[in-house]
Amino acid sequence: MPTPSLTEYLIISGLLFSIGLGGVIIRRNIIVIFMCLEMMLAAASLTLVAFSRFNVTDNGLPDYDGQMLVFFIITVAAAEVAVGLAIIVSLYRARQTIHTDELTSLKG
Amino acid sequence: MQAHLIEFITVGFGLVLLMIEAFTKGNKSQIGLVAAAGLTVILIMLFCPAPSCCPVPEWMERFYSDNQTARFYKIIAVISTILVLLMSVDFSKVLTKFTTGDDDDSATGEFYCLPVFACAGLMWMASATDLVSIFVSLELVTITFYVMVAFMRRNVGSLEAGVKYLILGALSTGFLVYGIAWIYGAMGTTDISLYAEILAGDSYNQSHLLFGIALILIALGFKVGAVPMQLWIPDVYQGAPTPITAFLSVASKAAGFLVLMTIISPFLASELTSNSICTVLLIMAGATLLYGNLAAISQSNFKRLLAYSSIAHAGFLLMGVATQDYVSVSFYLGSYLLMTFAAFFVLALIRSEEDSDELEAFNGLGKRNPALALALTVAMAALAGVPLTAGFWGKFFIFKSAIENGVSWWLLSIAFVSVAAGFYYYLKVVKAMYWHEPRDPSPMRLPIITKCVLVILMLGILLFGVWPQPILDLLK
Repeated sequence: MPTPSLTEYLIISGLLFSIGLGGVIIRRNIIVIFMCLEMMLAAASLTLVAFSRFNVTDNGLPDYDGQMLVFFIITVAAAEVAVGLAIIVSLYRARQTIHTDELTSLKG
Repeated sequence: MQAHLIEFITVGFGLVLLMIEAFTKGNKSQIGLVAAAGLTVILIMLFCPAPSCCPVPEWMERFYSDNQTARFYKIIAVISTILVLLMSVDFSKVLTKFTTGDDDDSATGEFYCLPVFACAGLMWMASATDLVSIFVSLELVTITFYVMVAFMRRNVGSLEAGVKYLILGALSTGFLVYGIAWIYGAMGTTDISLYAEILAGDSYNQSHLLFGIALILIALGFKVGAVPMQLWIPDVYQGAPTPITAFLSVASKAAGFLVLMTIISPFLASELTSNSICTVLLIMAGATLLYGNLAAISQSNFKRLLAYSSIAHAGFLLMGVATQDYVSVSFYLGSYLLMTFAAFFVLALIRSEEDSDELEAFNGLGKRNPALALALTVAMAALAGVPLTAGFWGKFFIFKSAIENGVSWWLLSIAFVSVAAGFYYYLKVVKAMYWHEPRDPSPMRLPIITKCVLVILMLGILLFGVWPQPILDLLK
C-alpha cells in the first residue's frame, strides 16, 4: 500500500485551512464562524504533525517538537471555546441574536 | 531568587487574589488596591539584578531567556497592569452599573484579578525564545483579554466589542499557529536561537519559510494593530471598559511588538530573507500610518480617536522594526505608555462623571478643572510629538534610524504628513477644553488616585522629554 507523502498532507491541511478561513469570512452566524475557526486550528495541527513525522532526526525517530506543540494547541483551543461560548451566550441574552450583521451599535 | 520564578509568583498572586475575592465581603474595589500593591512588590523585584549563582534551570533554557530587553518589557507590563488596576478602582462606578445593574458591586471582583494573569502572560512573552512558549503565553494574554473586554455584560457595546475581539483574535491565533507550523516545517525546529545558524547553512526550504513568515506577520499585525488586520481596533477600543482599552493599547501592543522583533530579527539579519521581509514591513508601516491618521481626523468620539491614534503609532513602530532599530522601538513603547495612560486616566474620569466618551464632554474642561485640562494638554502634546516631551524623542529616534538606513522617500513623506495630521487631531481636544463653553460649568472633582497617578505620569513625560537617558540606559 502506498503511503502518502508530505505534499499530500500539506495539500489536505491547506484545504482545511482555506475552508475554515472562507467560512469565517462568508458565514454570518457566530457559532458557525467559531466552528470554522476551530477548523483552522485543526489544519495547523495537521501541518505540524505532518512536518514532525517527515522531519527525521539522526537517531531515526521523528522530531517530536511539532507534536508537543499540537497538545498545546488543543488545550488552548478548548480554553478559547469555553470563554468564547460564554461570551456568545451573554450576547444572546442581551440582544436575542447571534448574527454578525446585527452587531452594529459601535460606529464612528 | 531565580529569574524565572517571577512569573510563577505573579500567577500565584493572581490565584491568591481570586481566593480573597471569593471568601471576603465588602467593597470589591479594595481588591484592586491589594493587587496594585502586590504588583508594586513584583516591580521592585524586577529592578533588582538577578543573582549569578542560580541561573534558569537547564530544561527551561530553551524556552526562557532573562536579558535586559526582556526585563524592560516586563517592567512595561507590570507598570501598565498597576496603572490599569488603579484606573479600574476609580472606574468602579461604571463597572458596577453595567455588571449587576444596581449598586451591588459583587460581580466586579474578578475584574481586579484578571489583569494580574494577563500581566504574567505578558512577562512570559517578554522572555519567550521558542515558538511554543511564545504561542502559549500569547494565548494566555489573549484569552484573558476576551473576558475583560466583554466584562460589562449589561452593556451592549462591551459585549459586541467582546464578540468582535473574540472572532478576530481567534482568527489571528489560527494564522499564528499555521505560520508557526510552516516555519517549523522549513527550519526543523521551534527554537528561535538556532535560526541564525540554520539560515547560514542551506538545509532549509526558502518558500515554506517565507510563507510561514507572511502568516506570522498577519497574526502579529492583528496584535499590534497594523494594516491589514487593524479593523477590530476602533470598535473594540470603543466598546471595552476604559481601563481595559488602555491595557490593550499599551501592554498588548508592546508585547506584540516584542514578539514580532523576537521572531523576525534572525530573518531580518540574514541576507537571503531580509529584503522581502523588509519591503513587506515598510509597506505595512506606510499603509498603517495613512489609515490611522486619515481616519482619526474626522472622529468626534475621544475613545475612537485614541484608537486610531494607536493604529498610527503602530505605523511608526513598524518603521522602526523594519530598520532593525530595536532600541528606538522599545524607547517609543516606553514613552507611549506614559502619554497613553495619562490620556486614558482623564478619559476614564470624564466617562464616570459625564457618562460620555464624546469630544463634547471635554468642552470647557479648562474652566471646570484647570489641572486636569493641563494634564490632558501635556499628554496630547506628547502624543503629537511636541519637543520637550517624551513623545518627541520616540519619534525622533525612529526618524533618525529611518533616514540613516535609507528608507525610501515615499515612506518618509507619509510619516511626515502623519505627524502633521497628528497635530491637528490631538489639538482638537485641547481646543474643545479651552475654547468651548461647558454644558455644566460646575467644577469637576478629581479623585485622589487619579490625581497622584497623573502627577507622576506628567513628571515622567516632561522629565524623559528633557532627559531620555534613563530609559536608554535600562535598554543597554
